[in-house]
Amino acid sequence: MSEVQRKKYSDKDKNAIFDQEFMPHIDSMYNFAYRLTFDEDDAKDLVQDTYLKAYRFINSFERGTNAKAWLFRILKNSFINEYRKKSKQPSKVDYQEVETYYNSDNVDYNMTSDLRVDAVKDMLGDEISNALNSLAVDFRTVIILCDLEGFTYEEMAKILDIPIGTVRSRLHRARNLLKEKLKGYAQNMGYDTEEDQ
Amino acid sequence: MDKNFNSSSERKLNCRDVGKCFKLLESILDGEADLESKALLDEKLEKCQPCFEHFHLEKVIREVLKTKCTKRVVPVELADTIRQKIQEIK
Ligand SMILES: [Zn+2]
Repeated sequence: MSEVQRKKYSDKDKNAIFDQEFMPHIDSMYNFAYRLTFDEDDAKDLVQDTYLKAYRFINSFERGTNAKAWLFRILKNSFINEYRKKSKQPSKVDYQEVETYYNSDNVDYNMTSDLRVDAVKDMLGDEISNALNSLAVDFRTVIILCDLEGFTYEEMAKILDIPIGTVRSRLHRARNLLKEKLKGYAQNMGYDTEEDQ
Repeated sequence: MDKNFNSSSERKLNCRDVGKCFKLLESILDGEADLESKALLDEKLEKCQPCFEHFHLEKVIREVLKTKCTKRVVPVELADTIRQKIQEIK
């Protein structure tokens, strides 16, 4: 960071920003971290690392701008750089290959699902959570950001460092995969999901 | 005359441009569409059965994700640990 930036906030300012703009998001941060790592200790470490980085780079944060998106971006980058190495996620090379596939903006919208609205309504929280957790991390992430945390496409594009068109297509694919999982549960619950012959 | 039967029978069974329609419906549900697109929504829902079905399924998926996904409680000591670490690096 530059010398000019370093002097931007006084210690008092820093504490105020930290307490008023950063800490209120700890719930969302922890839930995001847990859904990425599936481990309580890893989630705690990830959130802690994120807050320490946020404090260290606080001068690059513009007061009054979207602190939640800024923090989520740091958390997601920490996860990719540190935690992904530790876990059994695909190696970097594999990941990039998959990325290229995900990043294609050509989406097949023709796939319609015969999943029933009523079946989805009757599902339990655990079933929804399990279906979400079973998705590959990049698909899981867009759903968490959009549906659980309410970020806009533009905010998601910034958090994930991808174009808005990619956000849109990845979300569409993610929800299709989720519907497939939910369809499996619906069949187990005895809902008829097949089209009438 | 059965009202329900009547209204659903007015919908086309095939969507003329699924790609464009579904993209629009999903944008609207994600809160991304402008007013002009929203005006198109009622027309789609009224006239096109695939659009109608896709919209309601996508809507309920978002609703259950938002309302039913189990949330974890943040460990009580986490915030304190973070504050303490920050005191140390100051
Ligand atoms: Zn249509």
